[in-house]
Amino acid sequence: MEIVVAVKPVPEAEARLRASADGSGLETDGVKFVLAGYDESAIEQALLLKEAHPPSTVQVLSLGPAARCEEVLRAALALGCDRATLVEAAPSGPLADPMGVARGLAAALRGKKFDLLLVGKQAGDDEEGVVGSALAQLLGVGYAGFVTDLRFDAASGHFRFRRTVERGTELWEAPVPLLVGLQQAWNDPRTAKLPAILRSRKQPIERFDAASALEAAARSLGAAFALPAPRTGAKLLDYRSPQEAAEKLVRALREEAKVFP
Amino acid sequence: MSPTVLLVVEHLDGVPAPATLEAAGLGKALASPQGRLVVLAAGSSARKAAEALAAVGAGSARLAEEPAWDLCPPSALGSLVAATARAEGAEVVLIGGTCFGRDLLGGAAAAWEAAAAAGVTEASWEDGGLVVRRPVFGGRATETRRLEGGRAIVALRPHAFPPLDTTAASFEASPSPPSGAAPASTLRRTGFEPGASSAGPSLSDAAIVVSGGRGLRSPENFGLVEELAAALGAAVGASRAVTDAGWRPGTLQVGQTGKTVTPQLYVAVGISGAIQHLVGMVGSRVIVAINNDPSAPIFRVADYGIVGDLFEILPALTAEVRKARAG
Repeated sequence: MEIVVAVKPVPEAEARLRASADGSGLETDGVKFVLAGYDESAIEQALLLKEAHPPSTVQVLSLGPAARCEEVLRAALALGCDRATLVEAAPSGPLADPMGVARGLAAALRGKKFDLLLVGKQAGDDEEGVVGSALAQLLGVGYAGFVTDLRFDAASGHFRFRRTVERGTELWEAPVPLLVGLQQAWNDPRTAKLPAILRSRKQPIERFDAASALEAAARSLGAAFALPAPRTGAKLLDYRSPQEAAEKLVRALREEAKVFP
Repeated sequence: MSPTVLLVVEHLDGVPAPATLEAAGLGKALASPQGRLVVLAAGSSARKAAEALAAVGAGSARLAEEPAWDLCPPSALGSLVAATARAEGAEVVLIGGTCFGRDLLGGAAAAWEAAAAAGVTEASWEDGGLVVRRPVFGGRATETRRLEGGRAIVALRPHAFPPLDTTAASFEASPSPPSGAAPASTLRRTGFEPGASSAGPSLSDAAIVVSGGRGLRSPENFGLVEELAAALGAAVGASRAVTDAGWRPGTLQVGQTGKTVTPQLYVAVGISGAIQHLVGMVGSRVIVAINNDPSAPIFRVADYGIVGDLFEILPALTAEVRKARAG
């Protein structure tokens, strides 16, 4: 099976967020970029399917500024991905136009054969989850997001999977090729071993120039980035009995905060 | 301005989803005073769903009533949305940011060659263009985006907008454009298992979440949290201490290694507020903390705090909530 995983570098969870000097986006200077959490699950799922259905290969793609994409591509190689492609694009912040990202990835994948294209269901920074369904439309393949328990039946050439939605869990099946926005792999993502990390530093990374694919008339541009005013701390309720505390809280939620159901 | 706003209806057997009613409210605002709000519904009960929305000021509806739409995954509606937006000359397409809306958003934007934004909590016209705001980084920051090019499709964060009340009214219905996409997909739905949602709202979808932590001291005592949640009609969450100890399943965990939630109201009970928990809930609109330690970090992010013994406070609060909701 030919498996492709598209991954996004995102600021690590512990990063201190600041607005850039012009206030339009996130200041990325000094910020360490890592694989997005759901992308780690997507890579794990790709590797599990590769191991379950030999011979298979896993190719990983990342679009964006070269330095931070290379970091996450090498992390993916260290985990066991076979090939890595850097889709070079004009410098853009981590909160880039998702449709531009989808067009760039589509340009890199157009005409390439794959059975499964995996993305994380959303990235940990902008939480848009747009790229997967956009990429599927651009490449003309079926798409489902919020996917768990992704299985491949080699005899029929079909995938079977679950899709967790608000009301419960849907069961689906689909033939290859398929694009999936993954919510959860069969198990927690593995960690890379030191020899593999060292080897990944020397592995080649293919490059694809997608700069021209990013341009379009309709686009979404970051205009301002603001950190919320720091919360000033809770208003502590004075009370003499638990009943009084309960009454005061319900009154505050109903009359002040207006969130009482 | 006189923009045309197209609202994509999510419905179950003709009953619009709450997220669609929330999007309808914004759609009406964006289309006023002189624009048009058009609704698009697909599936065999599309007409019933559109009728429920006619009262909100949708002057016309586009209906794709072929039963085959019932069987399609949401992503298969992308081409239909694009064809309808073109036929109506829409400037904006709105959709509730549920699993349904999120799965079709990117595909519709690609087919319509539009700008897209998801997780939106505010939207308005500024200088003739659509400007949206949305929380990013789990609610730790807010981003403003300009959607340029005259074609924008926006998925709204559930619970961010008040739903419009609807009563049935008449409207002018027309079939979806004949050039519109046929219901077709390689994906086939083979089954459905109702989730925990049958007992209450799901964690990531709930307007109210009540979470319990280590302060509950035992799995039996965690029932106090579930009773308060039931009284509020809330989903139940838990800190990692609770799920790691096996008191409750890992699917309830809120935080860095669990779910990120942004409800209207988040009640943290016996949770001290480690950063790993805070990043999963700090985007909630109103936060209440109940803890016996006044120096617990949870009180720094909470709006309302009760310092006290949760074993006394919780039963009193559950009783008060039941009383208030009954009256």
